[in-house]
Amino acid sequence: MSTRTNYAKIRDMSTDKIRNFSIIAHIDHGKSTLADRLLEFTKTISKRNMKEQVLDTMDLERERGITIKAQAIRMQYKGYELNLIDTPGHVDFSYEVSRSLAACEGTLLLVDATQGIEAQTLANANLAIASNLKIIPIINKIDLPGAEVQMVKEELMHTMGFEEEEIILASAKEGTGAEGILDAIIERIPAPKGTDDAPLQALIFDSHYDAYRGVIVYIRIVNGTLTKDDNILFLGTGCEFEALEIGYLKLGLVPQDKLSAGEVGYLIANVKNIADAHVGDTITTIKNGSKQALPGYKPIKPMVYCGFYPINGEDYERLKEAMEKLRLNDAALFFEPETSQALGFGFRCGFLGLLHLEIVQQRLTREFDLGLIATTPNVIYKINLNNKKELYIDNPTKFPDFSYIESIEEPFLKVSIFTPATYVGSIMTLATDKRGTYKNLEYLDQQRAIITYELPLSEVIIEFNDMLKSVSSGYASMDYEPIGYREADLVKLDILINQELVDALSFIVHRDRAHYYGKKYTERLVEEIPMQMFAIPIQAAIGGKVVARETVKARRKDVLAKCYGGDVSRKRKLLEKQKEGKKKMKRVGRVDVPQEAFLAVLRINK
Amino acid sequence: MTSRQQLTMKQLTINNNVISLYIHLPFCKKKCNYCDFVSYAGKEDLIDEYVESLCKEIKTAGPQDYQTIYFGGGTPTLLSPKHFDKVLKTLTHLHKTPPPLPEGEGKKENDIEISIETNPGTADKAKLKVLRELGINRLSIGAQSFNNQHLKTLGRIHSAEDIIRFYNDARSAGFENINLDLIFALPGQTLAEWQADIQTALKLKPEHLSVYNLQIEEGTPFHLKRSTLNLPQEDLELAMYEDTIESLTSAGFKHYEISNFSKPGFECKHNLFYWRNGNYLGVGAGAHSHVDGQRWANPNSIENYIHDPRPSPQDQSSPLIFRQETIFMGLRLLDGLEIEKFKGFEQEVADSIGDNLLTKDKDNYKLTRKGLYLANLVFERFV
Repeated sequence: MSTRTNYAKIRDMSTDKIRNFSIIAHIDHGKSTLADRLLEFTKTISKRNMKEQVLDTMDLERERGITIKAQAIRMQYKGYELNLIDTPGHVDFSYEVSRSLAACEGTLLLVDATQGIEAQTLANANLAIASNLKIIPIINKIDLPGAEVQMVKEELMHTMGFEEEEIILASAKEGTGAEGILDAIIERIPAPKGTDDAPLQALIFDSHYDAYRGVIVYIRIVNGTLTKDDNILFLGTGCEFEALEIGYLKLGLVPQDKLSAGEVGYLIANVKNIADAHVGDTITTIKNGSKQALPGYKPIKPMVYCGFYPINGEDYERLKEAMEKLRLNDAALFFEPETSQALGFGFRCGFLGLLHLEIVQQRLTREFDLGLIATTPNVIYKINLNNKKELYIDNPTKFPDFSYIESIEEPFLKVSIFTPATYVGSIMTLATDKRGTYKNLEYLDQQRAIITYELPLSEVIIEFNDMLKSVSSGYASMDYEPIGYREADLVKLDILINQELVDALSFIVHRDRAHYYGKKYTERLVEEIPMQMFAIPIQAAIGGKVVARETVKARRKDVLAKCYGGDVSRKRKLLEKQKEGKKKMKRVGRVDVPQEAFLAVLRINK
Repeated sequence: MTSRQQLTMKQLTINNNVISLYIHLPFCKKKCNYCDFVSYAGKEDLIDEYVESLCKEIKTAGPQDYQTIYFGGGTPTLLSPKHFDKVLKTLTHLHKTPPPLPEGEGKKENDIEISIETNPGTADKAKLKVLRELGINRLSIGAQSFNNQHLKTLGRIHSAEDIIRFYNDARSAGFENINLDLIFALPGQTLAEWQADIQTALKLKPEHLSVYNLQIEEGTPFHLKRSTLNLPQEDLELAMYEDTIESLTSAGFKHYEISNFSKPGFECKHNLFYWRNGNYLGVGAGAHSHVDGQRWANPNSIENYIHDPRPSPQDQSSPLIFRQETIFMGLRLLDGLEIEKFKGFEQEVADSIGDNLLTKDKDNYKLTRKGLYLANLVFERFV
């Protein structure tokens, strides 16, 4: 203890005066607003400079109410250094959440007074408990008319074992509670452990690509000291760099000469590729460095794959450039070229989950103005061949002939669903319908229950979340964790449009459900594909055997029998609009197929 | 051209001296439920001033050899004969045209076609007679349907009986070139009801029939309640159209344009200018003009037209646009369009022939029967 006190004299801030914390909250429960209030209250940012919700930097995030990229901001309060480490709020990013939490000693658990605890909140709180974090429970939005403060209090006490007096009431929007929260951070969250003179171990908890500076790496010094110009090694990836600039963050970067144990900050080291600064990796010095990586590192593994194809074949290069730009800032985005007989040249892309997929897709369309076909998402299947070899397949079209297949395994999830008790029955029906295996049902109180099922990931990515919301009037929420591969009796369902197999529409389905899916899928496609000059048969087939068939009737009449007199420009505009509509479709054989049709399987029950 | 001229009505100089004149009269007693044309109810007190402006615009354009004159609406017959007299006199005083027809002599080879649109019940026999005597020689009657229930649904202010009375009055007033406008695919209409409309129309023995398929246009009362209208499905619409073609051609009519049928020699010359992508000057509120490849439109509002009659900026024009428009307007004519007009569109022509939408007929390409029913899909290929 005495060495440490002495040491503290020569550094800016003793570890005793450092508090590292994060905020756990469900989407829309007010995390960003609370962060804003803390920054304001500690005068880290003046109100005038305040851009609403500083932590959410991208428009898309703001629109969806989700913070995707974590950042860390340092505040000064009553002589303490408080580092707020932001965490992503969606289940797709649970690994990133776990690494953000690993960089803290405590967390604010923010619960909406009108909504109560949600599945992800609980899941992340459990992660926090597992990381030995001190949790400060806060009930937010107490000013709203629908606030059920007492009920949410009891929920927190019951599910997580908090004492009533531990719970702080706040309205981030009104600014009430900020002082109490800051005091609680100082009083309740422990100071970081770790020693400055140990070999360096710095945890990467986030990184982002900056067009001017290259990759900016966000780190927590767990042990040792990082000094500017140190030669450093990333233990997980094996990459070596020089620490060109280090420092901490306020609203911008504040360069420092060194970062010591317990501190949170950034590192710029001429890292060109964000995949080299992998979240969860450990940084050490090349000289006298640590051999020991910090626990919890996991290489990124996409869970969900789909194909992206430009509607207009000439846009292939633009799509490629756009994806490369997105990857600069998204280490979890995986893609490689692939070719589809139906769609031509495109990319097979891997994502952390469906939300991640949607975000990437939207950014490609919005920011890069690309007309895009996204094919039905699928998981990675493990195929055991007759010759005892194993194959991992990320695209249904790559399935080997079924006569070579001994068995197929697919990834399973443990899914926890949080729901008001009234919806338990319909949710269990849904989960069973999706090939789920019942595991557990626990009532938190009279109103709320947690249902646990084991479900195939493939069923969860196909409309499960939408249906869950639909059967629970929007109240149920879910969280999941992968639990490995399991054998299943799967078949490949092919779709033929106008007698041509459209590889991009194929998907893998359980044998027992193949007919049902075949019928629903063809029905849905008939709705999605507009009538054309000829009748278009739509067939679903398994191994060449047709299991369902529908027909898009031929367009028989499309003639403007009306008098516009001399207004020829209006006629022209109508024709142009009609033609424009077709350009947004992909021509498959002789048939114009709209974008929506390629995701029809996601909406077969609508 | 000076900016002043650009900002006001146009003085026309035409390279190719052939041009038609369209005169828009946007007044109606009541607006029909399906109508999205430039026409207004309850603005009759502006008629005098409006006609002044029309004459001014016609004068500004200068003396032209108008090949046809067309009074369209609206309901032109809401105006009194003195208004027509004034407009026609203005044209006469610009010398060249039109020579008023000698009374009672009917159609002659060198008469120019002067049409007027009317609605049943908006003119009596005496008024029709005066109009005829002023030189107007073609009458187009907005009949739309002979079924009183459907007329009511459409928001028409006349009955089937009114149409027949009006038609007979027009005949006795000396009109020997009469068109009836009819609309099919009305809300709740059956094939039998439509066939009955056609038969009633044929009994009147008009020289010309314009048969339109009801379109639900934005901004109309029909559009607002379109989901409750019980509109015929595509198959029924097609059956009605097929039946129309069959009945009218058997009755000696020539199906010469997608929506138009005439006895031999009675094609609407004025409309042929549109379909052949010719020159026309449109005067009056909301009127469109096309002169030497340039297109523009007058303001839609009557008040704006009277007080600040600046036409719209010209629509985009180019030789390519002109050729495209020549094709998609020209193919509306059942005889089709000369092959040389398709220069530069060889691929589209070949595809369309391959799809059995176009066919070669002597020196023309024309729509096949299938192409006629799918005309929009054909035209789309040429824009």
